[in-house]
Amino acid sequence: MLKRKSRPISASAKREERIFYLFILPWLIGLVVFSAGPVFGMLGLSFTDWRISLDDLQFIGLENYAKLFDDPIFWTSVGNTLYIVVGRVVFGVSFALLLAVLLNQKVPGIAFFRAVYYLPTVTAGVAVALVWIWIFNPRLGILNHTLKQIGIQGPPWIFSKTWVKPSLILMSMFSVGPIMIILLAGLQGVPKELYESAEIDGAGNWAKFRNVTLPMLSPVLFFVIIISVVSSFQNFTEIRVMTEGGPGESSNVLIWYLWENAFIFLQLGIAAAVAWIMFVILMALTGVQFWVGRRWVYYEADTG
Amino acid sequence: MTTRKRKEDVAWYKSTQGRRAIGYMLTFALLVPLGIAFMLPFFVMVSTALKPLKQVFAFPPTLIPETVQWQNFPDGWYGHGYVDFTTCTWNSLKITINNIIGNVVSCTLAAYAFARLKARGKNFFFALVLATMLLPNEALVVPQYVLFNRFGWLDTHLPLMVPPWFGWPFFIFLLRQFFLTIPEELVDAAKIDGAGHARILLQIFIPLSKPALATLAIFAFIGNWNNFFGPLLYLRTPNIQTLPVCLVQYQGAYGNTEWHLMMAVATIAVIPVLLIFIFGQRYFVEGIATTGVKG
Amino acid sequence: MSTEKLSRRDFLKLTAATSTGAALAGLGPLSSIAAAQDQVELTFGRHWEAAFRPRQAEYDEGFMERHPDIKVAITYNTWADHNNVVPAWAAAGTLPDIIYVHGSRATPWAHEGIIIDIHDIVTADEEFNVDGMWEESVRLYRVDGRIHALPYDHGPIILGYNKDMFDAAGMDYPSEDWTMEDMAAAAIELTDPDMGVWGWDGRLDLGNGGGGFFTGAWGGVHMNEDESEMTMDTPEVRAALNHWYNLTHVENAGASGTEMEAFPNSQPFRAGVAAMGHIATWSTPSMRALANFEWDVAPTPMGADGSRYTGAFGSGYGITPTSDKPDIAWRYLREYLSLEGMIFMWSLSGRGSPARPEGLEAWLSSDPAPPSGRYFLEAMFDYAVTGPPFQSLAAAQVSNILTREADLLRLGETTVDEAIAAIQEEGQAALDEVADM
Repeated sequence: MLKRKSRPISASAKREERIFYLFILPWLIGLVVFSAGPVFGMLGLSFTDWRISLDDLQFIGLENYAKLFDDPIFWTSVGNTLYIVVGRVVFGVSFALLLAVLLNQKVPGIAFFRAVYYLPTVTAGVAVALVWIWIFNPRLGILNHTLKQIGIQGPPWIFSKTWVKPSLILMSMFSVGPIMIILLAGLQGVPKELYESAEIDGAGNWAKFRNVTLPMLSPVLFFVIIISVVSSFQNFTEIRVMTEGGPGESSNVLIWYLWENAFIFLQLGIAAAVAWIMFVILMALTGVQFWVGRRWVYYEADTG
Repeated sequence: MTTRKRKEDVAWYKSTQGRRAIGYMLTFALLVPLGIAFMLPFFVMVSTALKPLKQVFAFPPTLIPETVQWQNFPDGWYGHGYVDFTTCTWNSLKITINNIIGNVVSCTLAAYAFARLKARGKNFFFALVLATMLLPNEALVVPQYVLFNRFGWLDTHLPLMVPPWFGWPFFIFLLRQFFLTIPEELVDAAKIDGAGHARILLQIFIPLSKPALATLAIFAFIGNWNNFFGPLLYLRTPNIQTLPVCLVQYQGAYGNTEWHLMMAVATIAVIPVLLIFIFGQRYFVEGIATTGVKG
Repeated sequence: MSTEKLSRRDFLKLTAATSTGAALAGLGPLSSIAAAQDQVELTFGRHWEAAFRPRQAEYDEGFMERHPDIKVAITYNTWADHNNVVPAWAAAGTLPDIIYVHGSRATPWAHEGIIIDIHDIVTADEEFNVDGMWEESVRLYRVDGRIHALPYDHGPIILGYNKDMFDAAGMDYPSEDWTMEDMAAAAIELTDPDMGVWGWDGRLDLGNGGGGFFTGAWGGVHMNEDESEMTMDTPEVRAALNHWYNLTHVENAGASGTEMEAFPNSQPFRAGVAAMGHIATWSTPSMRALANFEWDVAPTPMGADGSRYTGAFGSGYGITPTSDKPDIAWRYLREYLSLEGMIFMWSLSGRGSPARPEGLEAWLSSDPAPPSGRYFLEAMFDYAVTGPPFQSLAAAQVSNILTREADLLRLGETTVDEAIAAIQEEGQAALDEVADM
């Protein structure tokens, strides 16, 4: 990705290298001290019969992994995870982009609206169960009540095998606050001069969006897509509070499957194996995104 | 587009004012109804905070309380005399402020290095940043708890307050992406002026990254303010607990949850987050767009 | 509250007892005696919502007055997270001296060494009357025949009814000689879809607590006695589930699953939109706090042959292996779980379901107890059976399957035949996997 010719290491390049390591040092220390132990520990423990106590662990090779691959519920949860991740990323990111564009308009009261759209993210923590179970209630809920007003018989939402996953995706669209904010910050960062010169070239709104906004926003958009994939994979609270993987196994996602094994069935070795499988899937997905990203992400200053 | 019409021939909707008015209308047509939907969870929280407990569960549920019970706020804060919300809030505030500063400092340095410095092994370390972001936290709960126990840090604020000074992959990645959008010419110009990396970072990157840093600060605030499972696990002594842990003390088994009191305190707890957000968000507006590319 | 405060005299007898020493000799240093001058800190990990903590604090103050050498320090988890925090504590070796143990966790936690075998301590303590606890409740904590924890609460599931709705319909209240058919007939009559009210709460609980409510009346059980075999695929279980299904989904006299979930932890019966529902003693305080109507309880309806059956369940406390002072922990528990301790904590406070008959008797005069609360006592004496699974190491897995299928039945997402087949097959597979552990 280097634009310039690579040169032999000069004194200044060496100095730069030292500064690089100096700057990443705090993170590196943190990585070694706080993360490395638990992470490699989990890898090792996934090959043992770990239940609770860390004493007298038996090495059992790939048995935990074999058990997982034999469990139909594991495969169901892999499928559910991919379904929900794709849904959340596609709808969530486009919706967040739409909101960010709207909230980037210079209309009166925009600060108020920005706060309003961030509200669910802020309130979610405690009120989520109370609020969403009420909203989704098929008979008494606000959602179906509203649909009824316009003559639509609403579905049973989270209380149905068919609708639970779309419901969770719909619900996630109310907590796009963080990525909306990142995109908004990205939009604010697009230099005005670029729009002005595009206008001189006679570009309409769509052309400006397509030719100026999107390329300039692409590094941020790229970030947003990657973290959406990661957070959709790891999103746990809503499943735990709202559905506990049900009805049936229809919203059992990998993170819930992991939790269930760890804390309900006390099979921490299996949970560790699930964690590693999730990690590998995410690594692969992220790798693909970086590879694809090289084709569409535009960096103003590419030194990477 | 090439032949310009004379001004008086331009239809109203094509005029500058007309276009702006239509833009406003379209924007509001989308913002208002969606905004109402987005306020719903907040309304439910506030409305629950104002109801007597019996009304919370009344069928069918209502958004407007029949009788308003302001007493929930002082009662909720009092916590039956056994949950001290003043102390919890103070603890949360202390931890949150420390963590925002720690995150901003450590992540800015690392992000600058990853975005703008050349070094062998850089790609490898950046891959490590990403990799640590991909690990499911739920899986690390037990090993991390064991680790902090070995450090002798349990039942203190250290497991919550020390790690933020050592970077947070998500924020490093976020800032790096923003730093990559800063024009190279600015850096080159500064280098010609003889500026070192510390000066380039402080005088160019940080001022130009206000939107990104404001975003980071808001995320760090919300993440730490709402952090639940970590404090629950690490802290035992009541007077060192944090707000979210104190809040769930209202939860009981078999329907013995005092939702009205819990929501009253939750409403109070949301206020600082909202204030930070409302004041913080103007930094998005005052980003690169208005500070301009001064170099 | 202070009028209910436990008199010092009630405990004199217990406090004077020293006979535990012999049993504890094998367990480690008698720190209470070794360090009589210094205060020993006794740690206790449990959950109580904020509203009940004043009671606990009052009890502990009294205890510390009686035992100036002991300082009780409680770590409160939430009900929802206690079971997730304890494994982390156990892995790191930071368990407090005493922990709360839900009945369904006793076997796995004993197996994983989270709670110790206290059989000898308990039985050697002549002042502590373990036989005065419901045998059904102690059974939950016997692992391989030895006591690993002791119950504080235990209660049966019986029939609750909304008096106002029966009055409005001009119908007689449920009687002692009601059969399941009588209940169904009344439920159908009380249902009014236009008003959004149901005769029956619609609840279907196949697991620990409500496990036997329906199936028992037909003589069915979900598992055999030692929990090695699933016994779902029998005509009795099928008939019971068909009866429930018919009542809920064909006659529409039971609130379906979707109706039950308008609020977390909500039940149509408690919300006043179902005339009848399951009720346990531990849910009477929330009934009192939330119900906007007059209500009472009746015995669990009989089967066609006049036999009666219902499920019961509860929770207790155990001592952990990390504790360096099991003797002190026992000094706390023997008083806390004595009849006097139970009466103070759970009877007079109205909290409910103390694990001793006299405690339940004393609870009957408390505020949350319904007028006919005696039926709870009668159920415990006559027909309540602790609901499986709790003895198998796969109990959590089997419970999961039972809950999942009951959920699907309530939501109308599966049929009785499919549910039975799924529980039988998957449940048996889970049991077989741990058969030789």
